[in-house]
Amino acid sequence: MRTRGTRTVRNVGAGVAFLMPNLLGFLVFTLVPLVFSMVLAFSNWDLKLHNQYKDKHIQFIGLDNFIQLINEPNFWKYLGNTFYLMMLLPFGIAASLIAAILLSKDLRGGSRRMWVSLLLTAIMVGSLLLLLATGQGRSGMVILMASLVASIFIGGAIGGQTIYRTLFYIPNFTAGVATMLLWKHLFNQQSGPINSVLRGPLLGLTDVVRQSPSTLVQAGLWVAAGLIALGAWFGFRRLRRAWADGDCGSSAAVFCGLFLILPAILAVPWSPLPRVGWTVLAVTIGVAIWQLIVAFRGREFYGRPWDGVGSALMTATSLMSVQLVMLGLGIVCYYLPAMAAVPDGLTPPNWLTDYDWAKPAMMLMGFWGAIGSNNMLLYLAALTNVPAELYEAADIDGASRMGKFWNITWPQLAPTTFFIVVMGVISGLQGGFEQARVMTKGGPAGSTTTLSYMIYSQGFEIGRLGYASAVSWMLFAMVLVITLFNWKFGNKYVND
Amino acid sequence: MSTINSIRPGQSTEPASIPPDSAKVDKLLNRPPGDRRRSRSVRTYFSVSLLHLVLGAISLVMVLPFVWMLLTSLKPLSEVASTDWIPSSVDTVQTTGVPVPRNYVDVFDYNNPDINHRGIQFARFYWNSIFVAAWATFLQVLTSAMAAFSFARLKWPGRDRVFLLYLSTMMLPGLVMMIPNFQIMISLGLVDTFTGLIVPAAFSAFGTFLMRQFMLSIPQSLDEAAEIDGAGKWRLFWEIILPLSRPGLITLTIFTFMGNYNSFFWPLVMLRSEAKYTLPIGLLFFDSSQGQATHLLMAAVTMSVVPMIVLFVLLQKYLVKGIQLGAVKG
Repeated sequence: MRTRGTRTVRNVGAGVAFLMPNLLGFLVFTLVPLVFSMVLAFSNWDLKLHNQYKDKHIQFIGLDNFIQLINEPNFWKYLGNTFYLMMLLPFGIAASLIAAILLSKDLRGGSRRMWVSLLLTAIMVGSLLLLLATGQGRSGMVILMASLVASIFIGGAIGGQTIYRTLFYIPNFTAGVATMLLWKHLFNQQSGPINSVLRGPLLGLTDVVRQSPSTLVQAGLWVAAGLIALGAWFGFRRLRRAWADGDCGSSAAVFCGLFLILPAILAVPWSPLPRVGWTVLAVTIGVAIWQLIVAFRGREFYGRPWDGVGSALMTATSLMSVQLVMLGLGIVCYYLPAMAAVPDGLTPPNWLTDYDWAKPAMMLMGFWGAIGSNNMLLYLAALTNVPAELYEAADIDGASRMGKFWNITWPQLAPTTFFIVVMGVISGLQGGFEQARVMTKGGPAGSTTTLSYMIYSQGFEIGRLGYASAVSWMLFAMVLVITLFNWKFGNKYVND
Repeated sequence: MSTINSIRPGQSTEPASIPPDSAKVDKLLNRPPGDRRRSRSVRTYFSVSLLHLVLGAISLVMVLPFVWMLLTSLKPLSEVASTDWIPSSVDTVQTTGVPVPRNYVDVFDYNNPDINHRGIQFARFYWNSIFVAAWATFLQVLTSAMAAFSFARLKWPGRDRVFLLYLSTMMLPGLVMMIPNFQIMISLGLVDTFTGLIVPAAFSAFGTFLMRQFMLSIPQSLDEAAEIDGAGKWRLFWEIILPLSRPGLITLTIFTFMGNYNSFFWPLVMLRSEAKYTLPIGLLFFDSSQGQATHLLMAAVTMSVVPMIVLFVLLQKYLVKGIQLGAVKG
């Protein structure tokens, strides 16, 4: 007993000694600033007013910063920008999941003979491409593309997963100012390659749009409206089933259902034809009521009200993002005839210098990086941990591919997905600074300014330290909500 | 412990189970071909070819921007806007007997009054970046490993509570601390110094967490054996635990180095004099002062991206493992 006691005492000394260097840094650069920032948020410290040349005193102004913030339209606009950019998240996650699933498949056909024949095919196709390109005296550009394609195929046939995984991941590894500058120039409206690639097809599209009756083109809006309603129906049905099965509590189902109605509500003011918006809204609400009636018919509901809100919210917000993209595409369709009517025809957008296109441009760049991101690697690891017996059993039962995915893969990956979503939301809330600073300086007209950029410009450019701290604490509050949500509802996935 | 788990649901795939069970994987991936009827193998052949086609197409999309970057960096300015990616001719300069494309020489040659009249000191930015990243990495890996040793191998009262506190700070938005930290730097007189860049980067909850995960997987019996042999805690740490956690150390080193090499926000607010710019800040400065010179900028971007790609290809084994520990922020 006595020896044990002394050992613990000695361990305290050693434990603290080993911890000390890190703990000191932690105190000085994390804990102290945290408290300091809290105090700042309630002060009116402004470097323009309170500096060494002026002897005004810094005052504590209570909640004034927060009140001013809530009354500032720009804050809400920047918050909206942040959420807008976060809509990339479901698409990025879906892409990385698909990439991971494709990569986890057997790329060698199961036998050596198959592998050799695949390799031979790759070499043959590659050399044929090159031969065609050079034989026909094509430009260096075509030959370059042909050789690039050939080398990717041959490399992939030899190296399989490793080669593809490396290529997919490269955008993530080089992420940073260099890659963003590269994309800034890729997006350049005159000299950028993206627009020079788009110009040709858009001219072709111009002809098509001009020749076809405008009502036919504008019908795209109706198609989009139909897809929005379809998405809502799909989502409501999923929610209703989860509700009936007890996977999803009543409050959770209703709360998440609201997200599915949101695009329809937005369609009313945004849609150029009001009747389309109203129709979508009416149909969506109709579907919601119908699903509610189906759900209520002679059923008992299990589970507590907020059970399963995590996965329900994930489904609902992902579908919502898809619906919103549909809405955007539908609106573009409606304006296509007018856009094609000008003498130049359809021209590629000015991407980063256009108020409406700057955010989509950044999301495109983000999507490019999201395919092979860390999320893909996490999914790859998780996929190897799915017990093979489950698939074997499903094979015996004659399950279809989609069935196997939704009933085995997706539930087995749920903890990983939940982790990725939570991390993605947290980093998304704080994100957007670097790209905005490098590519657009938050512009044009604040269309790419996110909350993090607002903190930077208020705190470090304008010098309103108190106000910027208040913004950062608003951000902190949002992150905290997500974290608490994760604590409360993440356990279900962990313990499953 | 359950609270710790709940912070990071990804942990349900416990580190111990992450290195995939090879038998299981083989079973999953190389499913026994079953009966080798011709029709079946033809079907496999086509489906696998299709798979390669899709994966190849995605790879192409990933690579194309970099191909454009490389080719544009070889072009003269007049050809940058051309739809033909291939430069009509590559202008080279003999440097110590080796022909080097002119744009690259121009980027580095800050004595050349024609090109870099605004004094872009690219070689200097490089050196600054590597210097700062190397020091920050060294210090962070050391402090993290020591703290992780304390959390994973020593028993002291309140240990797990302190660890939880550490862990929860990983959720804090870094932005909240930026403004006070900058004021602290002003009062310490560290603005526009390398020390001011290195010191805050030398401590990390993430590094501690990652190292702890690695150290937990080392058998506890080693400690007892070392103690019986009369080794002190420092010797246990330095001669036994640290060498055994080499994979973890390498992973953390790569992550930290990469993070510091790409670090943007903190150098942006801290650095004032151009001679101290790190690469990202230097690139931004280059873009804002000579943004029209796309060809030179692309040469500069290539120069900063290529070392990272080479490093990644060489070290990806460690990186992938580290990320799959479920510890990296998604």
